Amino acid sequence: MAAAESLPHIIDPAEALDDRRARLRLVADRVTPMAFARERTLPVLPELVDLLPGGALRRGSVVSVNGMGGATALALALAAGPSAAGSWTAIVGQPELGLVAAEEAGVALERLLVVSPEPSSWAGAVAALVGAVDVLMVAPFHRVGDGDARRLTARLRERGSVMIHAGGRWTPGADVQLDVAHSEWVGLGVGHGMLRSRRVTVNGGGRGAAARPRSSQLLLPGPAGAPASVG
Amino acid sequence: MSAPIRTLVAWCPDWPVVATGSPLDEPVAVVFANRVVAASPAARSLGVQRGLRRRAAQARCAELVIHDRDEAREVRLFEPVVASLDDISPRVEVTRPGACAIVIRGPSRYFGGDEVVADLVRSRMGEVLAGRTDVRVGVADGPFAAALAARAADPVRLVESGAVSEFLAPMRIGVLERPELSDVLIRLGVRTLGSFAALPARDVLARFGAEGRGAHRLASGLDEQPLDARLPPADWTVAAEIDPPADRVDRVAFVARSLADELHQRLGREGVTCVRVAIEAQTEHGEELVRLWRHEGALTDAAVADRVRWQLDGWLNGSAATRPSGGIARVALVPDELIPATGRQLDFWGGETEVDERAARVAARLQGQLGADAVMVPERRGGRHAHEQLALVPSATVELRGRSLTSDPEAPPWPGALPTPSPTRVLRNPERVEVHDATGRPVTVNGRGLLSASPDRLVIGGAKPAITAWAGPWPVDERWWDPGGHRRQARFQVITDDGAARLLSLEGGRWWITAVWD
Repeated sequence: MAAAESLPHIIDPAEALDDRRARLRLVADRVTPMAFARERTLPVLPELVDLLPGGALRRGSVVSVNGMGGATALALALAAGPSAAGSWTAIVGQPELGLVAAEEAGVALERLLVVSPEPSSWAGAVAALVGAVDVLMVAPFHRVGDGDARRLTARLRERGSVMIHAGGRWTPGADVQLDVAHSEWVGLGVGHGMLRSRRVTVNGGGRGAAARPRSSQLLLPGPAGAPASVG
Repeated sequence: MSAPIRTLVAWCPDWPVVATGSPLDEPVAVVFANRVVAASPAARSLGVQRGLRRRAAQARCAELVIHDRDEAREVRLFEPVVASLDDISPRVEVTRPGACAIVIRGPSRYFGGDEVVADLVRSRMGEVLAGRTDVRVGVADGPFAAALAARAADPVRLVESGAVSEFLAPMRIGVLERPELSDVLIRLGVRTLGSFAALPARDVLARFGAEGRGAHRLASGLDEQPLDARLPPADWTVAAEIDPPADRVDRVAFVARSLADELHQRLGREGVTCVRVAIEAQTEHGEELVRLWRHEGALTDAAVADRVRWQLDGWLNGSAATRPSGGIARVALVPDELIPATGRQLDFWGGETEVDERAARVAARLQGQLGADAVMVPERRGGRHAHEQLALVPSATVELRGRSLTSDPEAPPWPGALPTPSPTRVLRNPERVEVHDATGRPVTVNGRGLLSASPDRLVIGGAKPAITAWAGPWPVDERWWDPGGHRRQARFQVITDDGAARLLSLEGGRWWITAVWD
């Protein structure tokens, strides 16, 4: 009978000790007070998985998006994954961002805040949003002071939000750097057709796990507005 | 179970309309978040009801004057009306702008009967109102029944003590103001408060939870929640000194917000919520101002902060007679009536969740710091242009928790709307541009929508990118019936040799860049 085998006196003492240690480890895992921000991630759309280390947005990180023709669309596509999974998104200082394009990319509009602070209160507004929303899309037109930028980066790490920074450089350095290297529209002819999709090549780089160069081709936007894979 | 406290409710009908300063015999409606929240009697007689959309209301009554809701103004104008009752009872509580309640037992004994007090209240308030609207007074056991009595009053309605359940029984279930609950009840065939009250309380609790139990208690003529007998200890009061004393509302509003937060947290730790809060202010000259605010259900931190701001606005910007002589030096919030917090069940699928709560809180906070227009959320509208399909509205005007903005899949498409993908940047101020043909002459479109020549080059400031692909003209002729809003334009999608895709619009012989795909 199984019960007889588990009686302590027929179990090898060393084995019993190992067993107990294993159980203790399980308990330790379960009661770990906190998970580090870097261990937690936000999901992204499947088309973007190849561009990011670990295939997801690491909480607390800064993603910088650059390049002519497609940087804004790429930023929206990055925000779409977490947004669809239930996160809130804040767009800071970009009142002209196309909301219809955001929706087509997959951003949930019911969980979207559009915040337009003056340059003088920009850092304060972003700091307030960090931790309250999971994804911040920023594109400051003014110069962000080094001190402010460092403080915001630290706050992001602590609170676990992701900042998608479009246009220009993030002074303390972005964790993930994505550049739209090449883009080409499909569907529009000379006097006929219409814009259908854009084939872009995105190069990825960054720090730490993101330092290994990556490159990926995708349709951004695809025919339905959301990013699509090539082919 | 003891009977609820005998209460007098004085109600000024159509207060939101009165507060706009419009006469009631003209068709006027007040809207909030695109829905009518109040209408003047003249508008109501033409079919403008609460809950109608702005457009529908205008369709029913073309000459309707529409005002946006301004609750701060409603409170500011109501404050002198409430203040006129201060010597009848020291504890006048405001339920909402336009309605206030007093516990009538003491005054009744002093002045000699409920009826005398009711008449006194009516005449005092009538003096201040000076004919802008009338006052209806209801007296009954408990604020809920008294408020309904005031609605049924003409102009005074006294419900005998102990006769409350008979008074409530024939009322429609809708008066509970719980749309979701009453909707279900009506479908179950329970149409009046009497038939709802006749259901066994435990079955109602089992089926509808804490909210249903509260509604059932109200329908039975009881208090919604048994009061927590604990008197709040003095140290639950939250207060802040303001130095230098503030004479403008915007300076105190920030303090109000943090006080409300603090009160909320303190009560939350004790497992209670408050349904009535006293807002106290002290001026630099030592004047004491106190006003009680009650809320059906429980006062959330945002609701408290709003009420504090309105009340301070009412004091600081009120009529000369009630205005304090100096700036406000101290503000305190005293939780007054407590009920055990039953807690809110957060939805598992969609609906209200903790992330919504956090986002709603930061939106409110930023709005306090940056101004109402600095924090916006999208709202679905109709239109054929990218900037019309979704509009931005201040986040304070919509409920952010558990919001749903899914588009109606059955809605027919707008004729003339541009195909997907939509532009990622929609210019607020379109940029002037020239479009030249191969010979360097400007490209035009004639009245029949035909192009003069193929576009070849854009001229944007000094740059002259060559056009590599284009399509159009896609004409739209909008609002041709409206001389002020008539727009006739032809739209083009254009790609230039720098790789940029733009949406151009030709209107009145001029070319504009209206949107960009970047």
